[in-house]
Amino acid sequence: MPSIKIQSIHKSFGELKAVNGVSFDVQEGEIFGLLGPNGAGKTTLIRIMLDIFKPDSGEVIILGGEMTEAKKNLIGYMPEERGLYQDITLERCLVYLGTLKGLSASETKERLRPYLERFDLAAHKDKKVKELSKGMQQKAQLIATLQHEPELIIIDEPFAGLDPVNTRMVKELLQDLRHQGVTIMMSTHQMHQVEELCDRIALINRGERILYGDLADIRSRFSGHAVWVQSPADLPPLPGVEHVEDGRHGSQKLTLSAEVSPQQLLASLVEQNIPLERFEIATPTLDEIFIQMVQEAEGEEK
Amino acid sequence: MRKFLRVMAYEYRRHVLRRSFLLALLSLPALILVSVGAGFVLVRMETDATPIGYIDRAGVVQKPLPQDALEELAEPVQMIPFKDEADARDALKNEEIQGYYIIPENYFQTTQVEEVYQDSAPSDNARSHFRALLRFNILADQSPQIAARVVDGAQIIIRSPDGGRVASSDSWLSIVLPLVLGIVFFIVVMSSSGYLMQAVVDEKENRTMEVLVTSVSPGQLIAGKIVGLIGVGLTQLMVWIAFGVLGMFIGGANFPALQEQFASISLGSLGLMGLALLPSYVMFAGLMAAMGAMVTNTSEAQQMAGLLTLPIWIPYWLMIPLMKNPNGPIALTLSFFPLTAPLTLVCRLGFTIIPFWQLVLNFLVLCVSAVGAIWLAGKVFRMGMLRYGKRLRWKEIFSSTARSK
Repeated sequence: MPSIKIQSIHKSFGELKAVNGVSFDVQEGEIFGLLGPNGAGKTTLIRIMLDIFKPDSGEVIILGGEMTEAKKNLIGYMPEERGLYQDITLERCLVYLGTLKGLSASETKERLRPYLERFDLAAHKDKKVKELSKGMQQKAQLIATLQHEPELIIIDEPFAGLDPVNTRMVKELLQDLRHQGVTIMMSTHQMHQVEELCDRIALINRGERILYGDLADIRSRFSGHAVWVQSPADLPPLPGVEHVEDGRHGSQKLTLSAEVSPQQLLASLVEQNIPLERFEIATPTLDEIFIQMVQEAEGEEK
Repeated sequence: MRKFLRVMAYEYRRHVLRRSFLLALLSLPALILVSVGAGFVLVRMETDATPIGYIDRAGVVQKPLPQDALEELAEPVQMIPFKDEADARDALKNEEIQGYYIIPENYFQTTQVEEVYQDSAPSDNARSHFRALLRFNILADQSPQIAARVVDGAQIIIRSPDGGRVASSDSWLSIVLPLVLGIVFFIVVMSSSGYLMQAVVDEKENRTMEVLVTSVSPGQLIAGKIVGLIGVGLTQLMVWIAFGVLGMFIGGANFPALQEQFASISLGSLGLMGLALLPSYVMFAGLMAAMGAMVTNTSEAQQMAGLLTLPIWIPYWLMIPLMKNPNGPIALTLSFFPLTAPLTLVCRLGFTIIPFWQLVLNFLVLCVSAVGAIWLAGKVFRMGMLRYGKRLRWKEIFSSTARSK
């Protein structure tokens, strides 16, 4: 059973169509990436999933049904616009937010402790939130999202504002949570993080879903008709190679004509006794797919 | 329900434990204490125990004031009679007396007395003593009852035909008290609903709102906030009332004249006030919360709050017409308009006997407005909670209301 199932969601604000018929599922126990350029409608979609906004039409099934007050305790949400009470101590702020998720104050304090230690915030728990650095507040927000041990976590831009050390820590934390069976949906436009973490993705542009599915499938689907070749010798002219592009560390990217397969190219290289250090099907990075898809989508509109 | 209680407890504790709240709480009693103290000091400074002289050419003063009359004076001074003015002037120059009075021969025709002094006029206590001395001697041949009656002067007592209500110039406190309590109450209402509005605006500004509404339903959130903040206001009111009652005990024990005033306070009127002011409080809190949700930042919120405050005080601006005709058309109009109803009621309670049906209607208007304000707050809150850049417009609120029907 999917943790989130959204079907044909439409939502407009005045003239602006923020979400236009988007559907996708987030499966239990996976890390799902909701991707899209700024203003694509990601945050609106998340707010609809969380019942903050009502959709104009379409259906959201979350944890097996409609959103209820009881379900709010099973969900951890970290919005893109981070918000904590600034004028109270970190511990009091987190305890209050924890009690709003159905925990008792003492229970929250108990659960907080390991997180505060893991995030190096234990020494700061009695400071006012406004006295903490931006990165610390970011980590505190993450604790507020996780402390009640939710079944489903929805995070908008989890890595914004984090330094590389903390980024790594958060990444490991998300992977740990996945191992524990927690479902995570993250929205981001940091593609390399998505490549490392996500099992499946949906790409949204201007309120419409333009790509959806298993990350590995998508990448192979987009692997163009090209190969990476690295050789200590100079490459002779090869039949069926339309274009040669220099890459890093002496690699070259060969774009093949439609009639030639990578296997045929490899056979001809071997036949000519050309020494090979690398021969690899060139799959595009998610970044490239993202840009390509967004450009195509916008080209179609024009 | 539990989350509603948690929101309420959090909001209550957060504001009550604030240093600024404690300051506000203690500043009013402190201010009253300081001004009363300053009054005492001023009176002390005005008192002068130096004797005062008089030259009695009309033969008015035959006897000194008796002991019981002396005891009623704040601070009696020694009265020195002089035969002629030269002696009195010498005594004044030598600073043996603070001044002297000349009672002329034709005093009974003119009833005028001449007061002579050097640099500063004789002190109040010396003047009162001299006046009392004259009065006592002029009335010396009257029976004590008549003398006492003349000294007391006129006393007008107004009584309602059914005897349910008595007002007299001696019981001024029963008229003034509702007005003063009205002001105190509205200071409390405005400051605590100000906190409420600020809390809502802060949550929008610091973006806590989104986290909150994915934990608690907007209805529970806003209700918890309103009830918590009303608790803060009532705490403030209770503390002030406690100080007031304490002041009454201390004042009553030291100044017997005040006890009569306290006895004239009508507990019934105060009860009515309490009954009417509670729903008004809920109404204002609801409106302030709605405004907090509508606007996007603190300065906008303050402007809006200012607009809301204006109509509340209209009854006090129109105090004179209300006093002249407390059951007239102005009074009735203001009584049944929700924003002006609370203070109009307070004024009229002091000036007239409000017909029962009007009291009931007034109370109903306030209750309905309170419920309406809470409903509006919830509605605006749901719509406006995630508006960051742009203020919510009244048109949007009401058009969506129409749609949702």
